[in-house]
Amino acid sequence: MSESRTMTSTRLQSRQRVDTVSPGETPIRVRLRRLGSVLGAAFYELRKSRTASIGGIMIACLLVMVLFGQSIATHDPEKADYRKRTQPPSAEHIMGTDKYGRDIYSRVIIGGQRTIIISFAAVTVGLLIGIPLGICSGFYGGRLDSVVMRITDGFLAFPGLLLYLLIVTLAREWKLQGLLNDAILVMALGLAFWPEVARLSRSTALVEAKKEYVEAARVIGLPGFRIAMTEILPNCLSPMIVNATVRLGLMILIIAALSFLGLGTSPPTPDWGSDLRAAQEFLQTHPLIAIFPGLAICISVLAFNLFGDGLRDILDPRLAER
Amino acid sequence: MLIYTINRLLQLVPIVLFLTVVVFLFVHALPGDIIDAIGGTEAVNDPVVRKALEKEMGLDQPIVVQYWYWLEKVVQGDFGHSLITRRPVTVELLERIPATLYLAAVGIGLSLLIAIPFGTLAAVRRNTLPDYASQVISLLGISIPEFWFAILSILVFSLYFGILPSSGYVGPGEDFGLSIWYLILPAVAIGFRQAAYTTRLTRSSMLDEVNKDYVITHRSLGLSERKVIFKYTLRNALIPTVTISGLQFANLLGGTVVLETIFAWPGIGLTIYQAIQLRDFPVIQAGILFLGFKVVIINLLVDLLYRVLNPRVGIGQ
Repeated sequence: MSESRTMTSTRLQSRQRVDTVSPGETPIRVRLRRLGSVLGAAFYELRKSRTASIGGIMIACLLVMVLFGQSIATHDPEKADYRKRTQPPSAEHIMGTDKYGRDIYSRVIIGGQRTIIISFAAVTVGLLIGIPLGICSGFYGGRLDSVVMRITDGFLAFPGLLLYLLIVTLAREWKLQGLLNDAILVMALGLAFWPEVARLSRSTALVEAKKEYVEAARVIGLPGFRIAMTEILPNCLSPMIVNATVRLGLMILIIAALSFLGLGTSPPTPDWGSDLRAAQEFLQTHPLIAIFPGLAICISVLAFNLFGDGLRDILDPRLAER
Repeated sequence: MLIYTINRLLQLVPIVLFLTVVVFLFVHALPGDIIDAIGGTEAVNDPVVRKALEKEMGLDQPIVVQYWYWLEKVVQGDFGHSLITRRPVTVELLERIPATLYLAAVGIGLSLLIAIPFGTLAAVRRNTLPDYASQVISLLGISIPEFWFAILSILVFSLYFGILPSSGYVGPGEDFGLSIWYLILPAVAIGFRQAAYTTRLTRSSMLDEVNKDYVITHRSLGLSERKVIFKYTLRNALIPTVTISGLQFANLLGGTVVLETIFAWPGIGLTIYQAIQLRDFPVIQAGILFLGFKVVIINLLVDLLYRVLNPRVGIGQ
């Protein structure tokens, strides 16, 4: 296992060494070609890890659901039909219907769309705030470092769920609806995530900043900020990617938990958490209603966890040896 | 060490102040007038009464002064009265602590009972069926939302088989047997999830440990494999597991809002959840401050403990 790994890396290095730019090539094409070869190598590594491939396929399915949800759904998820209340699964309604006669399958699909988009957005917000702060704090050190780290500590002192509860309660008191409500949720989740990102990227940046290539960049006279952003940052990304992937799954869990508590969207909108909550009262008579949204949450969180686990093994071979 | 402790305590001051500012501003960020929010259901329409109330609550003062007055009371443990029950908030929260403590302690105990044997087995029998099984199960445990797990367990054990109560709480002091009966489902829901993390942790630290020199020495001395694993290796491998379990326990002290809600378990989490539902703002404020403060203290203790256990940490600072 470890032998094949070293072989891949030498193969990659030799491939980079022969990367010469032919005279007629435009810079964009060169970049695209390099990107292509990097992605190709990444894909090759991914295929070798079983966990990462299974997780990757599951995530691909989820993304298809997010992009083409409207075409995959068979019914209008919000349209009630009182003649078809709480039906068991059938050819027309693959997962049956809920207490208002709405198609559960379509609700699971459309509800998932929203949840996954929010969790992606929230992770992005966290990364966008946390990475630059963490890298600069690790690279410059000194007073900037201690100020940023104190702020981080302050944010970390908030217990996650409580911060969401606080912000989501405020949003509810202001009677925010629809997109605005979702935006607030994204901000709340992102705000709770960035301190972790900042800490992680700071600790990697601290190590990277002492390496020779940074010295070299200084020698050729690059300004400090540029060194931090173009030299150090790309080398700090791999732990970030693993962290963000696992975090995506966690975000889905949190969003579902919040809406399960009734702090998500208002009723007619399909949502895994609130559908599960609604299904609770029919648990005795129609337990199947409670199965599908829960299963959907479980599968999507599992997808990100599997992919994250696999990625960690690929990006951190020391751990993979275990 | 003493200097470090004092230093660390001083660093806490701004963090705790930040916490109080956020919690204080929370009520001010609510829509509408504070008197309407605090006054709750009682409509305060009389302008004279309103003025008097404003004066009494100090709302005519600048916000910084208001914050100072509020902080003064909070330091003395006075969060005002619940808008719903009209009882002091502090009392309201304090009497919910035992239930949360009970659930958290049993849940973590259960998780250790699962994690240590299975994590060790997975590491010792690496790449065999037990290893794969425990890995798959712990991955599932991390991915299953706890409320779904709770609902499913209610479905199976109380609705289908009818052997366990679906929700409720009986204090261990009142009727111990009955209280265990009510405890099983919520404690298993907590224990299973926490065990999913600690099993993975135990496995990986055990794998780290069995490759160390002292293990080889013990084996070459001719000790039985059993003795090597259980007497020498496991003890060292368990340090991270126990540390993390301690942190998990500390986190659970805040109550798991979701599980306490499902099982109608009258702990801190349920209290805060009900306060949010009923718009009982003083209770929300106090609850969140309590939990934030708890996290700060735990972080401090972990840092200090780390230094005591591993004196090398401090060198070079």
